[in-house]
Amino acid sequence: MERVVLHKSNLKPWVDRIHRGFHVFVPSRVRGEIFFLPQAGPLESDLLSGIATLPYLPPKDIVFPQSETLFSFTRDAGDIAFSVPERASRKRLILGIRSCDTVGLHWLDHFYLTNFLDFYYHDRRDNLTLVSIACNQPMKNCFCICCEGGPFLDPEKAAFDIQLVDLDEHYLVECNSEKGKRLVDLDRNLFSLPDPAMVEARDQLEEKSRTLFLQEPTSYMSAAIRRITSNSVPPEVWTELGERCFDDGGCTFVCPCCSCFGVGYSSKGETGCHYRFWDSCDYSGFTREVSGHNPRAEKGERFKRRFFHKLSYQYIKRDGRIGCVGCGRCITACPGEVGMPAVVERLRRG
Amino acid sequence: MFIRSDGQEAIGCLPMTHHPVSEGRLCHRGWNRFQNLRSFNRLSLPLVREGTDLKEVTWPEALQKTTEKISELLSRYGTQSVGVIGSPWLTNEDNYRIARFSREILGTHHVDGSYRFSGASALTALSRLFSGSFGSLGSIPAIAQTPSILVIGKESCRDFSPVGSRLIKAFLRGSAVILADPLCTRKEHFFNYLLPHPIQSLAAAFKDKESLPPEVSAHLFQPGLALIFLADQVDSASSLVSLLQAVWPRSPTENHLPFILPLSRSPNLKGAWDMGIQPGEGGLTLHEMLEEESQVKGILIFGDDLLNHLLTSSLLVKFKNLEFVLVADRFFTETTRMAHCVLPIPLLAETQGTMTNSEGRVQTLRPFLGPQKESRSVADILYGLSQRLGKDFPVFSEPEVRKEISRSISPYSEVASESDLEEVGGILLPAPTAQLPWEPSEALEQAPEQNRYRLLVPNTLYAWNRNQMIHESPVLKIEYPSDRLTVRMNPLDAKELKLRMGEKIKIRSDRGQTQAPVEVDDNIPSKVLMLPSHFVEAVEGLAGKAVRDVTTRTVFFPNLSVTVEKI
Repeated sequence: MERVVLHKSNLKPWVDRIHRGFHVFVPSRVRGEIFFLPQAGPLESDLLSGIATLPYLPPKDIVFPQSETLFSFTRDAGDIAFSVPERASRKRLILGIRSCDTVGLHWLDHFYLTNFLDFYYHDRRDNLTLVSIACNQPMKNCFCICCEGGPFLDPEKAAFDIQLVDLDEHYLVECNSEKGKRLVDLDRNLFSLPDPAMVEARDQLEEKSRTLFLQEPTSYMSAAIRRITSNSVPPEVWTELGERCFDDGGCTFVCPCCSCFGVGYSSKGETGCHYRFWDSCDYSGFTREVSGHNPRAEKGERFKRRFFHKLSYQYIKRDGRIGCVGCGRCITACPGEVGMPAVVERLRRG
Repeated sequence: MFIRSDGQEAIGCLPMTHHPVSEGRLCHRGWNRFQNLRSFNRLSLPLVREGTDLKEVTWPEALQKTTEKISELLSRYGTQSVGVIGSPWLTNEDNYRIARFSREILGTHHVDGSYRFSGASALTALSRLFSGSFGSLGSIPAIAQTPSILVIGKESCRDFSPVGSRLIKAFLRGSAVILADPLCTRKEHFFNYLLPHPIQSLAAAFKDKESLPPEVSAHLFQPGLALIFLADQVDSASSLVSLLQAVWPRSPTENHLPFILPLSRSPNLKGAWDMGIQPGEGGLTLHEMLEEESQVKGILIFGDDLLNHLLTSSLLVKFKNLEFVLVADRFFTETTRMAHCVLPIPLLAETQGTMTNSEGRVQTLRPFLGPQKESRSVADILYGLSQRLGKDFPVFSEPEVRKEISRSISPYSEVASESDLEEVGGILLPAPTAQLPWEPSEALEQAPEQNRYRLLVPNTLYAWNRNQMIHESPVLKIEYPSDRLTVRMNPLDAKELKLRMGEKIKIRSDRGQTQAPVEVDDNIPSKVLMLPSHFVEAVEGLAGKAVRDVTTRTVFFPNLSVTVEKI
């Protein structure tokens, strides 16, 4: 892995240079809320530091929007013309994506690009470059360390192009792909080679960050995985947890790994379209059959299914990892206070 | 809440994590709120009826046609021949304009909201008790700190995530959370107690304190109690008044104001009511406008699918016979299909203005998109009609209307402060200061006789469930499937009557009878039947004429004592 050093004062010139070839998404505040948005003003440096400030909406939205048109049709004198939305011609780059979200995208890649290649997702993902920032200060809901979702990325386990490590006045730039190297090649003059002390400081920072992120254990993943895989969670525990679920779907919508969608159809006169939208296994309609029968009519059943998919070994084996990256967004989203850490803790207790 | 766009259309939405009410949490309707913004069912051009068809016309033509029809009614039958319907799906400013236009330009006293059959009773009761517009009677974030909470109906929790979230926080802190729900056999673990009473008989149950479990009594009747209910489901003002009297036996004082949260599934029920969308002196309610002998010959409907709200078949007959119906709305609905003139207006997401939520919080809408297609704002429509009627209706901007509102509606005195409105969370209206004695009121419902069933006829919010926010969203359409006509029954009762799912029963009350298939439902307690009030034909067959609520001046179907036999 190639490593170079970027002085923070050179970040703006580098990003300006990147702009020539990319549509650059950066963390930006809108009325106090953080979003990944096309850069329109100065970079917000605090959102590009080691502090794990996450946008509430994960960047999965950039490759898998909450809703998108799949195809449109028009009938004209008996002939039906179909059209598929055009692929964005300009390449996209996310600057400042966090480790957990990068791992989340990797998980989505597995879902959408293996077995069946979803070309809507593929077109966007293929066009996307990821410049992540390693976290060294956790926020209150972070538990990525329990899920191998951070705070630093492991080049063997996540598909990222560059990882920036915040070393006060500098970023250590770690290139993990040819795409990443090409970004550095845009202007080599902005970068210098790291001295050994800097590399040592980086390793020490990773070690320290791991300790900081594990300061208060927020999760008991392995015990929960064991119990859920062996189906030894008593049904009344699922009922109790299900009672706290309001079927709002918020946890699935803000989860970097949740990939389920539904398909809708809309038309008027001679024109119409098919489109897809994020769906949620929280919803009773998710599994309701046309007859009205619902195999998972009970909330506890739906809740069990959701966590079975995220944590059971059967799925870990299939998907390569658990379906949680420890970003903690479900804690914010859940009105019933049954986000992932609370569930895992409850499952551990049995 | 943010609506997100790809530059052309809405693609998603997101709650604000630092909003004092939502704290980043929404119900399933909220998370899918953007979907109706991309509907193909939007009204795009004004329509005018020609024979049985609605024909697309230009705006000047539509306004001219509407003006002619209004002028004709006014000159032939007088100013009180026209009624105007505002909506909880419009902003405060638009509702204020509609109320002013009705009274100053048309000269009619007949102004009301589509909520006359669902929501007006609760607001009438509270307005009477607190002498007019009552500001805020409790905030949603404060629920979490309340020592005891009485929740009427499970929906108050499930369908209002910010409320449910605070209930759970209160439960985890050790507060007593009591659920009253007659259609529930199993309570969730975060409800400490379950009372199997409908709102109509809660007051009677509370008066006989001996009959209540002692642990429930210990938590009720306290000044610190919070009462949470769905305003949409209060069928008569007297049932709410008698409940409040039973829970707070002493009149409220400034130091001991009851904590009351009247929730609504419409976004601006309280705001529309406060802005004057209710009959003036001598004015008729929506129900009265549609009574057979009513003098109203034409109705102007703004922002709602009124037909979904009508509770009895006679109201529908009168509606069909009106000489003129104007509908200003966003989508093709059953009501627009019956209108004589249809004017497209912008969605809330395309509108500037404020709304008042259930707790009395006034917040600003920032238009996400410019007006789409050919839609025009309610302000433009009212101005255009006024001009053609030869009258002068001021063109006020939203801040100017708010200034007027702040001067004329007392709890809203702060809404002229644009900087306060800009804050996330907007302005929480002040608590009422009036100290009125509780008016005497009697609970209506009696306990059913032995061997008879209690048939509950709830407003299951059919009108709400069929609104365009749901109808135009594929996810929500699946979540809220259309009801089939069935009577729900406890499985043990069904077994006793040797009934299987779908088999028909004959139900008899003292007032009539009806037949309907049975649906077995674990949630229904024994000796209780449930028939939603929007199955008008079946309900009318059984209940006869609807009962008149003299306070709210509307009608509702009371719960009935019935017998059942298998056909």
